[in-house]
Amino acid sequence: MRFLGFLACFLLSGSVLSQETIKIGVITDRVGVSKPYSEPATEGVVFGADEINRKGGVLGRKIELLIEDDQSRPDISATLARKLVDQGVVFILSVSLSPATQQQQTVTMEAKTPQMTPMNSADYLTTQLNNPWFWQTGPLGSTQGATLLAHAKAKNFKRVALITDNSDLGQAIAKAFRGALEKAGMQIVADEVVARGATTATPQMQKIRAANPEAMFLAGVLTAENVLIFRAYKELGVKFPIHSSYNLSVPIYETVAKGLVNGITFVDAYDPDKPEVKAFVAAYKKATGKDSQNLHGYGYDGIMLIADAIRRAGSTDKEKIREAMQKTNYAGVMGAKGMRYSFPEGKRAGFDPNGMVVRVYEHDRQGRVLHVGLK
Amino acid sequence: MQDFLELAVSATASGCIYGLIALAYLLMIRPTGIINFAVGEWAMVAAFGGHLLLYRYEWPYFAGMAAVLALMVVVGWVTERIAVRPLVEKGSAVLAPILALLGVLVITREIISVSFPPDPLPVPFPFGIGRLEFGLVGGSYQSFFIIAVTLAVFAGTWFFFEKTLWGRSFEAVALNRRAAALMGINLSRVTAFSFSGGAAVAGLGGLLVSPNISAHYLMGVPLAIQGFTALVIGGVGRVEGALIGGLLLAFAEQLTIRYAPIPSGFAQGVPLLFLMAFLIVRPAGLLRARA
Repeated sequence: MRFLGFLACFLLSGSVLSQETIKIGVITDRVGVSKPYSEPATEGVVFGADEINRKGGVLGRKIELLIEDDQSRPDISATLARKLVDQGVVFILSVSLSPATQQQQTVTMEAKTPQMTPMNSADYLTTQLNNPWFWQTGPLGSTQGATLLAHAKAKNFKRVALITDNSDLGQAIAKAFRGALEKAGMQIVADEVVARGATTATPQMQKIRAANPEAMFLAGVLTAENVLIFRAYKELGVKFPIHSSYNLSVPIYETVAKGLVNGITFVDAYDPDKPEVKAFVAAYKKATGKDSQNLHGYGYDGIMLIADAIRRAGSTDKEKIREAMQKTNYAGVMGAKGMRYSFPEGKRAGFDPNGMVVRVYEHDRQGRVLHVGLK
Repeated sequence: MQDFLELAVSATASGCIYGLIALAYLLMIRPTGIINFAVGEWAMVAAFGGHLLLYRYEWPYFAGMAAVLALMVVVGWVTERIAVRPLVEKGSAVLAPILALLGVLVITREIISVSFPPDPLPVPFPFGIGRLEFGLVGGSYQSFFIIAVTLAVFAGTWFFFEKTLWGRSFEAVALNRRAAALMGINLSRVTAFSFSGGAAVAGLGGLLVSPNISAHYLMGVPLAIQGFTALVIGGVGRVEGALIGGLLLAFAEQLTIRYAPIPSGFAQGVPLLFLMAFLIVRPAGLLRARA
C-alpha cells in the first residue's frame, strides 16, 4: 500500500514535471501609439509559439506565453517586466515602443533575465546601457538611413529635404537620417516636422518646394501624418522623388494612401521572394486563414530566436540561455536573402547591416526589391 | 503671392475645422456651463461612421453624411441622458459632469479602439482628390468644401440664436438659468438639445477632416485641444467667436511653419504661446457676450 502511494506520488510528480511549460513573457502594446506595429508582431509571436508547440516544444516542454500590455508607456513597462520576472519567465520579448523597451532593461539587468526585442529600431537600446541580458534583432535606425542612402547615392543628389513627425521614433530616425545625409555630403536644404494631430502638411511642403530639393527623405512613422505629407505632395504638384523610412513597409499604406504612394521608394527588411518568407506566408495562411505581413515576421523571428537559444543552451537556466543567445547564428524570415542573425564581437544588435533592402510602390502595392545592403 | 494664397486656403480650411470643434464646445458650455472634452472623441466616432458607411458600404456621400450626423445627434442625446442629467438632477457641482464626460471620452475611445483595426482607415472625399483655382487662389476640392459647409453651419447657428424663439430661450438659459426656468423654459430640454447639437457639430468637423487625416482611434484628443484653444481665443460669449478663434489659430500655426525662420519643430509651440497670451491678457476671449 505504501509502495503504491509512493508510486502514485512519483508518477504524479513525473507527469507534472513533463507538463511544466517554459514561460516566456511578451510585452506588447494593445491600446497605445505603437498598437499598429505591436499587434501584428504579437500575432507573429503567438503563431510561432503554436508552431513550436505543435512540433513538440523546446527541450520536450511546451512554450507558454505570458502577454502583458504596456501601452508603449515607459512608466508602466518596467513594472510589467518585474511582474513577468516574478511569474518565472525565462525570457522577455519586447514588441512595444523603444522607450518602453529601454525602461524594461532596468529590471532585466537587475534580475539577470534575458530580454530581446525583434523589432525596435532605436540605436540606443544596446549602447546606452551595458546590459549583457538584452539583445535587439530589428534593423537599427542608422542601418535604415545608411541603406536608403546607399540606394540614393547612385543618383548623386546634392540638395535634399528631410521631413518627419514629432513622435519619439520619428525624431530618432530623422536624427539618424540627418547624420547619414550630411556624412554623404548632401546638403539638407529644408528640415521639416509635421506634428501629431495636424490637419494639413501644406505649409511644410510649400517650404520644401521653395527650397527646391532634388529629393525628399521621409523619416516619419505616424501613418496618418505621413498620408498628410503625401497628400500635400500631390496637391502642390511637386515632382522630386521621395525616399522613405521603413515605416512605409507597413501594408496599410496600400489602402489608406491609395493613389498617393506610387513611385515612393522605402527601406524594408523583408523580401517577398525569399524562400523563408514564402514558407512563412504559406504556413501563416494555413494556420490562421489570414494574410501575414512583414510585421508578423518580426514577432515570429523573435520567438524562434528565443527557442533556438534555449535549445542550444540545453536548459532553462538563464545564464546558459544568455550565453547561447550571444552565440546565435540563425536565418529567419526578416532580412535580405541569405542574411543570418548573429551578435559578433560581443555586440548585442544582431541584424546584419547589409540585411536591409529598398523596395518601391507600384500600382498601389509594395513592389519589387531595387537594392540590397550598404554597398 | 500665389504661395501665400495657397497657404491661406489651407489655413482657412484647418481653421474651419478648429472652429467647428470650438462651436461644439460653445453650444454646450453656453447654456449649461459644462465643458465637454469628449467633443474630440465625437469627431472620431463620426469619422469611423464615415469610414463604415462611405468606404466599406459605399453609400452615396450625402446620404452617408446625413446618417452619420443623425447618429451623432443620438450619441449626444444619450450622453446627456447617461452622464450629465443624473448628476445635474442630484444638484452636484458643475465639476461632476465634466469629470463624468472625461470618462465618456475614455470609454468612447476604447470602444472604437477594440472594435476596429489599429491602423488609420480611409474615409472617401465627397468630390475626389483635385484642385480648384480661382485666379491666384488655389486649393483642394476638400478645402473649399470644408470652408463652404462650415460657413453654412455658422450662418445657420447664428440665425438660430439671433432670430428664432428657440434660440432666444437658449440665450436666456445662458444668461440666467433660474430666471429662464421661472419664465417657463424647460431646462432639461435645452440641455439635451445643446448636447445633441454639440455632438452633431463635432461630428461634422470629424467627418470633414477625416478624408485628410484618416479615421484613427487617437485622432480625438488633438482635435479637442485645437478646438479648445480656438474657443479660448474667440471667447465663449458669441457664436462668431468660435470661427474667428479657429481661423486665428490656424493662420498663426501655418504662417509660422511656412515663413518664420525658426526650426519647424519649434513652430508647434506657437499655438500654445497664443493660448497662454490670451489667457493672461484677454481671458474672456476676443468677442464679449452682448449684455
